[in-house]
Amino acid sequence: MTGRRSGRPLVPAYLSTGGVARPSRNSLERLSVLTGAGGPPPAGLPSAQAALLGLLDGGSLTVMESAALLRLPVSAVRVLAAALIDQGLVSARPPVPPAALPDRDLLKRVADGLRALKL
Amino acid sequence: MIEIPELAAGGLAAGTLSAFALGGGLLRARRARARQQAEIEALRARLDATGQELDRAAAAFTAEIEHLVTKRMPAEATRSAHTHVQVPGPLGPAGTGTDRVLEGLRNAIAHERKRVDAAARAGMRGTTREIQAGLYRLQDVLHGLQQRYDDPELAQTLFALDHENEQSLRRAQVAAVVCGAWVGLAREESHLVDAVTGGQARLVGYHRIQVHHHLEPGTALVSHAVEPVAIIVAELLDNALRHSSPDTAVVVNLERAHHGVTVTVDDAGVGMAPDERARAQRMVAGSEPILLSELGDPPRMGLAAIGQLTRQFDLTVDLSTPSPYGGVRAVLLVKNHLLSYIDPVLHPASASAAPTTRQQEEHEPQPDQVHLVPGGADGTRRRPASPEPAPGTRSPFEPAPTPAPAPARPAPADPVPEPVGEDGLPRRRRRAPAAAPADPRRPASPSRTPEESAAALGALQSATNAARRAAASEGSDPR
Repeated sequence: MTGRRSGRPLVPAYLSTGGVARPSRNSLERLSVLTGAGGPPPAGLPSAQAALLGLLDGGSLTVMESAALLRLPVSAVRVLAAALIDQGLVSARPPVPPAALPDRDLLKRVADGLRALKL
Repeated sequence: MIEIPELAAGGLAAGTLSAFALGGGLLRARRARARQQAEIEALRARLDATGQELDRAAAAFTAEIEHLVTKRMPAEATRSAHTHVQVPGPLGPAGTGTDRVLEGLRNAIAHERKRVDAAARAGMRGTTREIQAGLYRLQDVLHGLQQRYDDPELAQTLFALDHENEQSLRRAQVAAVVCGAWVGLAREESHLVDAVTGGQARLVGYHRIQVHHHLEPGTALVSHAVEPVAIIVAELLDNALRHSSPDTAVVVNLERAHHGVTVTVDDAGVGMAPDERARAQRMVAGSEPILLSELGDPPRMGLAAIGQLTRQFDLTVDLSTPSPYGGVRAVLLVKNHLLSYIDPVLHPASASAAPTTRQQEEHEPQPDQVHLVPGGADGTRRRPASPEPAPGTRSPFEPAPTPAPAPARPAPADPVPEPVGEDGLPRRRRRAPAAAPADPRRPASPSRTPEESAAALGALQSATNAARRAAASEGSDPR
């Protein structure tokens, strides 16, 4: 997560999904927002799915953020999230389309303006 | 005056006397000669007998030498490699002296075998070390590709390649360890369950392995013990998977013991005969030097590698009890001086590792508990950034949220201390859901008055407008 875990990972990513990299649904993108449905997790959930569900417990994260927090590749998190969605434990919201996002340059200027205001 | 007849009589008497004397002497001489003759005969007979005896002894000795060369020495040479071979004894009492020859031969063979084995190990050590380094580089490339590309088809291939690479790495590493090399990788202090899960990932049948984690969260290994434990667990699991039916599970239990922590591997396989078990126990104890030539063809290196590692790192592996599942039970004991503590909140174990069955709340690391962990002077113990962990930083491995701690948790909007990483940067936390049930007892946003909010939004709006005007006046997009 921070700093410390920079070394060679001890547990390879394929173990999290049991070697599967094809998600059961293809709707998930890197910036899709995952939201935990709440409620107790069922017993016997695979460790990595339980970890993702625990991470989403009472909140939302994008696929990318979940991957970073779990220290897994995005492809693995997509498989895990798809499995959880299939079980109705997590809901996914498609990302905001790029066209609807404000201009990046504009945001930079806003930030600059805000910094100028603070001074 | 002397008369003639007197003279004659005297002469005759003298003659008779001398004749008697001579006759007696002759008789004596003949008797002596006969005695000597008999003595000579006896001596000759004895000489003949001795000569025959000597011939027999020489023949026996020659036969003994022949026997030594054609039977006993080859048998002794074979016996140095296969201890069950019986070396035939000498043919008769003439061969008792040849035992020394065999003893000398035995020592010479043992010496030469050790020398040849050391040379073979040195050669193999050099090769495997380079292979291992190459495979680690390949692993880095594969991990980089996994992070960069998330196309499912490509990711599937990358996962398969990564798994193949892990298996090759395991074999190269085990061969290197058997040949007396270092494990080849310095790891940082890691969760014990991560080391076990890492060992699990290196095997073909890892789907069949069930890890049950009954330790306190944060039980970790000191850095130099991480890789050895992973290797030992991988080899024990490999044995378990190999000798059990593909539809049975291999069960791993991580439990606390008085002297440390045990990793128990149980399989429901065919088990081992008592002599096999005794041999395996000798191998994993690491008390006997390992000869490559004794490992069979293809060499069975797993147990030998475990033996090397247990000796080098003061670990204990026990194979002496049969498993209640009918197969083999292997117990790895990691002693307390190889254990450490990692804050499971700041540095959780990997997502694939089995969550602990213990309730985390009971074992939330208290600052004074952290001090009790031995060997904490090197700054490697991680204490939580805030004594009361923020609600967002619960470990992902916490079991089902129990209803009891819910009231103790502050409302999501509470100003809680921001968890700070070691690099001083605030850590990203998950967002509260839009439809989170608001706590009716608390205002939605107690830290900010409506006036402050209005001022902040106004500032944002005016800054946006200023920036838009500036962008419009410049006319062109600076990109």
